[in-house]
Amino acid sequence: MTTDIAPVLADAHGRTTPTAPDRRSGFRRVLRPGAGRQHHAGPVAYVLLGFAALVSLFPLYWTMVAASTDNTRVSQTPPPFLPGPNLFKNLATAWQDAALGKAMLNSLIVAGVIALSTVFFATLAGFAFAKLRFKGRNILLLLVIGTMLVPPQLGVVPLFMMMADLGWGQSLPSVIFPTLVSAVGVFFMRQYLTEALPDELIEAGRLDGAHSLRIFWSIVLPIARPPMAVLFMITFVHAWNDFFWPFIALDMTNPTVPVALTQLSAGYVRDQSVIMAGALLGTLPLLAMFLVFGRQIVGGIMQGAVKG
Amino acid sequence: MATSIDPRQSRRTILHRLDLGAVPYAFIAPFFLIFGAFGLYPLLYTFWISLHRVELSSLDTMEWRGLANFTELFEDDRFWNALSNTFTIGVLSTVPQLLMALGLAHLLNYRLRGSVFFRVAVLTPYATSVAAAALVFTMLFERDFGMINWVLGFFGVDNLDWESQKWPAQFAISTIVIWRWTGYNALLYLAAMQAIPRDLYEAAAIDGASRWQQFRTVTVPGISATIVFTIVLSTIGATQLFGEPLIFGQGPNGISGGADNQYQTLGLLLYEEGWKNYQMGRASAIAWAMFLILILVFVLQRVLARVLSRTPRPAKAPRRARPSRTS
Amino acid sequence: MGTARKRFGSTFVSATALAVSLVLVAGCGSGDDGGKARTKDGKTVISLGLFGVMGYKETDLLDRYMKENPDVTIETDVAGDEQTYYTALQTHLAAGSGLKDIQGIEIGRAKELVDTQADKFADLGKTPGTDHFLPWKSSQVTTGDGKVIGLGTDIGPMAVCYRKDLFEQAGLPTDRAEVAKLWEGDWAKYVDVGRTFKQGTKNPKVAYMDTSTGLFNAMIYGEDKQFYDEDGKLIYQDNPVVKDAWKLASDAATSGLTAKLRQFQPGWDPGLANGTFATAVCPAWMLAHISEKAGPANKGKWDVAKAPKGANWGGSFLGVMEDSPVKKQAEKLVAWLTAPEQQAYIFEKLGNFPSSKTALDMPAVANGTSPYFSDAPIGQIFGAAAKEIPAKQVLGRKDGTIKDTFSLGLQLIEAQGKSPDAAWKTTDERIQKLTR
Repeated sequence: MTTDIAPVLADAHGRTTPTAPDRRSGFRRVLRPGAGRQHHAGPVAYVLLGFAALVSLFPLYWTMVAASTDNTRVSQTPPPFLPGPNLFKNLATAWQDAALGKAMLNSLIVAGVIALSTVFFATLAGFAFAKLRFKGRNILLLLVIGTMLVPPQLGVVPLFMMMADLGWGQSLPSVIFPTLVSAVGVFFMRQYLTEALPDELIEAGRLDGAHSLRIFWSIVLPIARPPMAVLFMITFVHAWNDFFWPFIALDMTNPTVPVALTQLSAGYVRDQSVIMAGALLGTLPLLAMFLVFGRQIVGGIMQGAVKG
Repeated sequence: MATSIDPRQSRRTILHRLDLGAVPYAFIAPFFLIFGAFGLYPLLYTFWISLHRVELSSLDTMEWRGLANFTELFEDDRFWNALSNTFTIGVLSTVPQLLMALGLAHLLNYRLRGSVFFRVAVLTPYATSVAAAALVFTMLFERDFGMINWVLGFFGVDNLDWESQKWPAQFAISTIVIWRWTGYNALLYLAAMQAIPRDLYEAAAIDGASRWQQFRTVTVPGISATIVFTIVLSTIGATQLFGEPLIFGQGPNGISGGADNQYQTLGLLLYEEGWKNYQMGRASAIAWAMFLILILVFVLQRVLARVLSRTPRPAKAPRRARPSRTS
Repeated sequence: MGTARKRFGSTFVSATALAVSLVLVAGCGSGDDGGKARTKDGKTVISLGLFGVMGYKETDLLDRYMKENPDVTIETDVAGDEQTYYTALQTHLAAGSGLKDIQGIEIGRAKELVDTQADKFADLGKTPGTDHFLPWKSSQVTTGDGKVIGLGTDIGPMAVCYRKDLFEQAGLPTDRAEVAKLWEGDWAKYVDVGRTFKQGTKNPKVAYMDTSTGLFNAMIYGEDKQFYDEDGKLIYQDNPVVKDAWKLASDAATSGLTAKLRQFQPGWDPGLANGTFATAVCPAWMLAHISEKAGPANKGKWDVAKAPKGANWGGSFLGVMEDSPVKKQAEKLVAWLTAPEQQAYIFEKLGNFPSSKTALDMPAVANGTSPYFSDAPIGQIFGAAAKEIPAKQVLGRKDGTIKDTFSLGLQLIEAQGKSPDAAWKTTDERIQKLTR
């Protein structure tokens, strides 16, 4: 799904934009939870929220439970609710059988490169759209927004042929290149820089004789760091979880994690507990990321949204 | 630009001019180049392919068919079935998802202890890939030993065959989508809610509005823009639904969307034509049909947004002055 | 918040550095797909692409070969699902990349590859020491001008696997000879036994058979023509073989004799383990799966009885890619893997039935028994079934896909309660569309 368009589409129709956070406190405000006005939550709210959290987390917990049992136990009723003894055994099997080690490395490379390049090009273009004056700027910006209507999936057939022609069939470049840039990212960075980067700073830089690249490097980049980090993480999550095109472009000998997981499930001799172990393993890196950066990711998503 | 021009530095000035004139284009060029090569060009080429008969085993032989792929597609029950499934699964997954997200955002908007925990917790499913989520839910919905059927057993529902029956299957697939995206949308709403000025609530309270009335008259209109956008986004996502039903069907049934195509979406039909029947021309025709549908959705959204923005709002619309930067 | 932001920023920088270094590593690591022979630790690498349980990864055969040929390293990739495997193979053939040196070929795809991709495969017809196959097996992968694109691994003679304990409960005989007698000569009798079973069984939750598709496959593959005639024309609509099989299978499906499971899909395995059905029509290569999934707890509860009629479901080949940089070594490996001794060895270990005529006469095969299946003399049972297989089966281009479509059609009856006529109509339309 391409819900990552949210922050941008919202702003694409500037008319309905409700608010702009003030220049300096924007990020901090959303990073600090509960910053809004509002009533204190009553017990009912806590119960409901607790339920929502439970529903959100339980399937993941149960993945772990299923991954730690064996095939017989997992297919009995009542289903298991407590972890069994086979977690590490199943993880090891999944790791070997589904080439998950390779898949994780591949996903790390794919998501890492895509996120890096998206952030870099988005900052570059976002800066140009936000602060540089050039002919056709508005039309080009509209074009950027328009591209969001063209999900790369719709081009799978020729993409597939192109990759074959380029000799990239079943290799990582075939999934990296089509997603090296993102319109969402460009828009996101443009919105941030429009507000967070004072024109005076650029003027001052120009007076010092700095050329645009230099201004970009020594003025824009330092200021843009927080949204770049946010964009990096969100792009990383999306690239890691991307499915349709990698599923078509890659195969089981050189998969990303989601592709490897489908292979794991489509087997003759797979155990359900091993499949669950694979699902768990493939999700762990992102869960770890959420554990460490959860607050920043939440802030990032909300920061994007505030602009809508 | 207001830079002083010193005659001694005329060479620098030329460079400077060049800098100002060309560099912006250089900065945005990478985006357009890559998008052109891997987004626009394939899309147009898809249309070209859709006018031909092309088999996967011989990609370089293209046999001209004109619009035959399209006419066949529009006469094919499977296409309309897939379109209708895409629509119903889209509705089944989007409507509850957004309603629940709205409620969740409202709860999260209270002053809370542990609010970071709750926010991260409801966002966690978003970290799970389609593949992993679909695998887990497929297990939970399993006919003979799945946990959901076990629970339903206490209510006298015996061994519901989720995969075989149309509505249960579509419901189960929607559940996967809802689970993954509700928290994400809730955060979008929450952010929009927090941007609503407090005095609007105070004014409403003075007018004697109950909390529910405040929610209806202040909160919902205040975030209506965001609501419209999440609807569009979910719709775009729903149009392309692929991984969830594919994995939910397990093996050959996944590609055909069940024995009766009861949950085959357009994405699956595209894949079936292209990578199971090896007919790339027909697959391309489906891709273009999907593209046209997306455009339609976009147009509808514009209309919807216009209608919504014309509906009367509370005295002070939740808009703050901002530097004009219409795009 | 200032410190938090700073820390966050520096984390980001180090993450960036990490990612960049990964890119560099990736850059160095890729690009080994060229046309040159790959070596690893000074050994030539031969790669195999397989599917299902072909027995090479599951036994120690490959290790043995590497021990006997110290200059060779073998890498195997096994796809669980043949559909997935074949789609990948098709895309690799189309892209001309990603192909292994050796690729497995399932019989349902043999004709399509022979017709459309023969030039991509090496001719194995003159490989030394490969004149031991059943003649019909080799003819299935021979092109019009005599090129042989694969060597046979196994064939799929069929029997009926059944649970003795469940038969006993239902008041049926349990001895495999007596059981075979119940349905001797006619698949309809096999269904009749199912009705008796249904009346006699104590546990209404136990079905007679897993699914009607097994029965359908067994019936059509007992004859020489299924979906196509010799000229490649589709005849399934009027072929009495297909019609009769459809009728009986849908009959079984509507009589509540099946557990409504899908073979080789996740729900099927627990059914094997928990004994929710009493019989499964089983080609020889299915024994390995049943014993694995039913598990040690059920050892000795299963048995194998001769099927009403001989039939052949499935069976595979190994082909060598013409462009493989290690073509000669790969041919040698394929010849070795499909040699009578190795085929007999896999039969002993897993039950996959040899396609080598020589292997069939070896004592290990002819007198082979299966300890898991109550010491059933599977060599005799499947050997007898193999003799009844029609000597020339007519293959067609879309055999595999058509068979899958019929499976879906039977599911319509079995799991969704459609009438057999409506299901036939749907199936017919689907086949017309996919062969268009």
